[in-house]
Amino acid sequence: MIARVFLLLWIAAALVAAFLWAPLVPVLGATTRVFYFHFPAALVTCLALGWSMVHSALYLRTRDLAHDDHAAASAELGLLFCVVATVSGSMWAKAMWGAYWNWDPRETSIFFLLLLYGAYLALRASLDEPVRRARLAAVYSCIAFVAVPFLVFVVPRLYFSLHPDPLLNTRGKPDMDWRIMACAGAMLIGLTATFFWMLSLRVRLGRVERRRERSKDAPAVPAGGKS
Amino acid sequence: MNGNLVVLGVALLTWGLLFTYLVRLEKRIRDLEKP
Repeated sequence: MIARVFLLLWIAAALVAAFLWAPLVPVLGATTRVFYFHFPAALVTCLALGWSMVHSALYLRTRDLAHDDHAAASAELGLLFCVVATVSGSMWAKAMWGAYWNWDPRETSIFFLLLLYGAYLALRASLDEPVRRARLAAVYSCIAFVAVPFLVFVVPRLYFSLHPDPLLNTRGKPDMDWRIMACAGAMLIGLTATFFWMLSLRVRLGRVERRRERSKDAPAVPAGGKS
Repeated sequence: MNGNLVVLGVALLTWGLLFTYLVRLEKRIRDLEKP
């Protein structure tokens, strides 16, 4: 519980610092604050989808359904963080570019990412048999993740984009005040810890559901233990 | 009222609610895990 309380205070402190201590970027004004949600959510999305791919590969190697639980849970959470990054990004786009959606290369990339992993969840939902579902979803996840670095890091750099230079830019040096970077880093650490916490809850919940399904399917033993 | 403080308040409240939900969910899962 101490770790949980530490996480609560960590994110609360990061938010207070981001709003009251970190300076505003002159061009962005008050919208600078969106950065503290948008940037960590986008990076946690990449982490979650990568985590899903690793566990999918481990499932294909070991055939242990625990890896499938991890892969499914992290893809679901990856999609959730991707929605947070998309919504915060489009609010930012409305303030800076005048429209919520502009089909900018980065917006188009994230749209394809949402479609790709929405299809992953649809695939899982369409299959009832756990072993078949795990196998097909693992193969899909391994193939789908190949597109993630391409969509997130390559496509937006190939075409002209309204999106500002990412933190990891081609000059190898972020053009940002150190206080803004410190707050964004603190939020990134906090959201990453929250992701792993939510992941463990989702995996444990999946395990409980499977145990209950197994006990429901098992033949009932009459009282006294003799049939 | 300062809009900056309002947004900070909403962000802190949202985080507090999410945290409470996760703690309660964890407790419920722990109960379900008991044999």
